[in-house]
Amino acid sequence: MRIHQQLRYLLVLVLVCGSVALAATQWTLQPKESKLTFVGTQAGAEFQGVFERFTADLKFDPQDLAGSRFDVKIDMASVNTHDSERDDTIKSDDLFAAKLYPSARYVADRFTVKGSTYTGTGKLTIRNVTRDVPIEFTFEKKNGSAWLKGSAQLKRLDFGVGQGDWKDTEQVANAVKVNFVLLLKP
Amino acid sequence: MQLKNTLTRYGVVAQLFHWVIVALIITQFVLAKWADGLSPVKKIGILATHKSVGITILLLAVLRLTWRLFNPAPQLPAGTPRWQELAAHVSHFLLYALLFIQPVLGWLMSSARAFSVSWWGLVTLPDFIEPNKAAFERLRDWHEAIAYTLAAIALIHIAAALKHHFFDRDDVLRRMLPS
Repeated sequence: MRIHQQLRYLLVLVLVCGSVALAATQWTLQPKESKLTFVGTQAGAEFQGVFERFTADLKFDPQDLAGSRFDVKIDMASVNTHDSERDDTIKSDDLFAAKLYPSARYVADRFTVKGSTYTGTGKLTIRNVTRDVPIEFTFEKKNGSAWLKGSAQLKRLDFGVGQGDWKDTEQVANAVKVNFVLLLKP
Repeated sequence: MQLKNTLTRYGVVAQLFHWVIVALIITQFVLAKWADGLSPVKKIGILATHKSVGITILLLAVLRLTWRLFNPAPQLPAGTPRWQELAAHVSHFLLYALLFIQPVLGWLMSSARAFSVSWWGLVTLPDFIEPNKAAFERLRDWHEAIAYTLAAIALIHIAAALKHHFFDRDDVLRRMLPS
């Protein structure tokens, strides 16, 4: 009977440890310290924009890439390029159409690593159009929290960001770079 | 063909600087007015050209002034009244000053609006001020006021040149024209 009980405890212990090891850490985004930005090119000169509001459901563990998963939701109306007129234009129907499609979403669930750089394979949805967009990033643990820093390259027209006149890429380039620096706490 | 200025005539280099800059300034007025009523995409394109032309004027102004330092302007006709001499110097000085001030204002104004200036898509100029809406609006007002000031002084300059040509019948206008 005693041995039976000890075995049961042991079994519970093994199960608990096992499940902890299997599930990649669930992180909580620290919005104040985190930044999601993009760089576009307008009339030959780069400009930067920031998304002021986004949420991220991040499971990540370098030891358990198979169990890692990113799910990021971006509030398209929170775009800020330091010029309110340009922001209004970006949010309008021909570009983000933020009223019709208030949020963009990025889901990545396949990860590989090379040296200290991780590559995530995921799907980005903007304006209800979903395309594969890979991301590259580094993951650094520091005092229990972690910094996730990386970038992605995409083409705005792949998502229909640019209708009518805005299909023209001479003044506003098709290529857009997205950068993220995220502070995570367990 | 005389490259350098003489005591009585402007040389080819000074003439080229003068007339190319005249043509570019007229272009600037046309582009600025044209951009006003356009759709956003076309406006970006026209204003990009306006900025590139403006920075070109700034570069030409630097070269022109340097050339002038080593190559003094021809003398005014003998017997020019003192006040006319003074008026000529003041208006020339102002025209030169505005060739520098106006492009720099435009450049700062772009930076204040978070639209960096690209020179013909070749070089992106640094932003010396942070994006700031109030600063942008002030700089835009100055840029516009300077444009009209430049136009006003240029009109006086043209009137003076025509007066010399048709009333005084001297060679003040002709010396800035190809011989």
